[in-house]
Amino acid sequence: MDPREIVGKALEEGRRKLLEHEALEIVKAYGAPIAEAKLAKDPEEAVKIADEIGYPVVLKIVSPDISHKSDVGGVIVGLKNHSQVLEAAKKIFENVRRNAPKARITGLLVQKMAPPGLEVIVGGLRDNVFGPVVMFGLGGIFVEVLKDVSFRIAPITEEDAYEMMKEIKSAKLLEGYRGQPPVDKKSLAKIIIAVAKLLEENEEVESIDLNPIIAYPDSAVVVDARVILRLK
Amino acid sequence: MVCFLNRGDLDKFFNPRSVAIIGATHKEGKVGRVILENFIKRFKGRIYPVNPKYGEVLGLKCYRNVKEIEDEIDLAVIAIPAPAVPQVMKDLAEKGVKAVIIISGGFRETGTEEGRRLEEEIGRIARENNIRVIGPNCLGIYDNWTGVDTFFLPDEKMKRPPRGEISFISQSGAFASALLDWMALHNIGISRAVSYGNKIDVDDVDLLEYFAEDEKTGIIIMYLEGLREGRGREFIEVARRVSMRKPIVIYKAGKTSRGGMAAASHTAALAGNYAIYRAAIKQAGLIEAMSFDEIMDLAKILLTQPLMKGNNVYVVTDAGGVGVMLTDALTMQGFNMPRTPPELREELKRILPPHCIVENPIDLTGDTDDERYIMVLERLLPRDDVHAVVVVALPQVPGIKGSIIDYLVEAKEKYGKPIITIMIGSEEAEKFKSKLEDNGIPAFESPERAAVALRALYEYSMFRIRHGGEK
Repeated sequence: MDPREIVGKALEEGRRKLLEHEALEIVKAYGAPIAEAKLAKDPEEAVKIADEIGYPVVLKIVSPDISHKSDVGGVIVGLKNHSQVLEAAKKIFENVRRNAPKARITGLLVQKMAPPGLEVIVGGLRDNVFGPVVMFGLGGIFVEVLKDVSFRIAPITEEDAYEMMKEIKSAKLLEGYRGQPPVDKKSLAKIIIAVAKLLEENEEVESIDLNPIIAYPDSAVVVDARVILRLK
Repeated sequence: MVCFLNRGDLDKFFNPRSVAIIGATHKEGKVGRVILENFIKRFKGRIYPVNPKYGEVLGLKCYRNVKEIEDEIDLAVIAIPAPAVPQVMKDLAEKGVKAVIIISGGFRETGTEEGRRLEEEIGRIARENNIRVIGPNCLGIYDNWTGVDTFFLPDEKMKRPPRGEISFISQSGAFASALLDWMALHNIGISRAVSYGNKIDVDDVDLLEYFAEDEKTGIIIMYLEGLREGRGREFIEVARRVSMRKPIVIYKAGKTSRGGMAAASHTAALAGNYAIYRAAIKQAGLIEAMSFDEIMDLAKILLTQPLMKGNNVYVVTDAGGVGVMLTDALTMQGFNMPRTPPELREELKRILPPHCIVENPIDLTGDTDDERYIMVLERLLPRDDVHAVVVVALPQVPGIKGSIIDYLVEAKEKYGKPIITIMIGSEEAEKFKSKLEDNGIPAFESPERAAVALRALYEYSMFRIRHGGEK
């Protein structure tokens, strides 16, 4: 779907937050590589999708009424085959029916599991003085505890994106440590620029969190995306 | 094009041929009196006091209403209570005045509904009649060239600094007047200063643009609390353009984060107001001063020194301890203090007494004289791998008579490289210091402050070199 359509549909339905598959789709539309994901309506379709995108996969419930999916038993990770997916899908629907009986269910997100790598976060927001602003940092304690992040005002160039990565205190981790090779900064730069562009071209988007993004020596993928809109 | 229009508009504020002072009075201690006195003392154009209560003030004919003045009025200064300002604005519009400084407070800054309403009303009258406004709730302008001086603090409370190349833009009136007073005490020159208060019209962006074109401005200092909503991008664009021509030193006040903001996302929770301003400062090529001391340290180095083309720094000292302190301070600021190259080391060994240390920092020791410095600097400064030199010539050393100072002044011109000095001590040091600074060689009282200032010069130089500007 086109980014404008995704945003338009959410606003029409009075949703301030994009559903997870919509959020992933919209960042993908701006050139950010994502961990492949598709929405299934039922367990059978989930299996079909899993076969298509390849194992292992993770299943996540998608509902406009559920923001903490794990709390209602709406997430199951590490599914390695056909039968595991079928079983897990049924179980998630059951869990959600029991724990959140009133929640509207959009479907089940089937997403390819990203192998371990370096977790980073890219964010964006709309500042009332400067307009669209982007943020970069490393995931986990680096962002949560140390608040080790860098900012730039959009629009930004590729050079700006590289500078943002160089500017954080833990920048050395991007260069690889304990014998690890450096991560693919070009892909990360592409993601940062995508967020800046997304904010610039979609006035209704208030903030974005891509967290985590997993970075590898030759690529990077967005695993989780959160896009908040402002209602008029 | 916008740039030229703006300059034309703002020129009336700084360089008016005639000024009307609304609220002029002879009553001691009143704002309207101090401002009128300021103009009488220093302004070369025509002055028209306006106040319905008087026929004459301080020897000048006083008008009941601005509309009664037969002359054309370039600039009006308003110093009357807020509720009376809208009517005066209407009169000024009728009179055709296009530049107004509103000194009066009692507007939005009061937080009251009435204050907000009055501010909106004067803003509307200004827009409808194409009147440019500085203020309200401000000190206005101090111009050292034309004598426009609406700083309503009498000379005995706030000394006026000598003429110079620094122009100052301040969101805080109190800070502006304190800084000017301080500059006067230290004999540091100012060109023009503006306190814009609530900035309903003329703001930081307009003033940067004006000072960029102003030949009397060599460097701009800004004290900023916050920009107007939605003005951020223009600020970055304009500041970036201006930075290519002259340095802008900014002090951003209000560094603590807006903790109360509801955190709808991780990013929003992390994005303190200051974090975003820091990004903007960097993107615009501004130089950030982190403290009051730094504002002046940075201003003096940026104003006097040529661009620094690389990050190799050499230190020449007569005090080993200060050499070590400098090495630490410079290294911490990211500078490279190279080892003296072999051929230079040999040469220095040949010309210097054996107890001198030829390794960088080069230590001429306590028995040095002026000549020894000159010999060493003559070999250092022409080298391409030397990008800046810090000279420590503590005057407590008996052999230092002062010819080193004349040399440094000449060498700066001859070699076009940054030369800064460290000067620690009492009367003799102060004497050396003023002589150096009067001749464009900055003298710092501590190695740490010198290193921070040099770093600012380096960063600014890199910004200019990267973007193809020249000094």
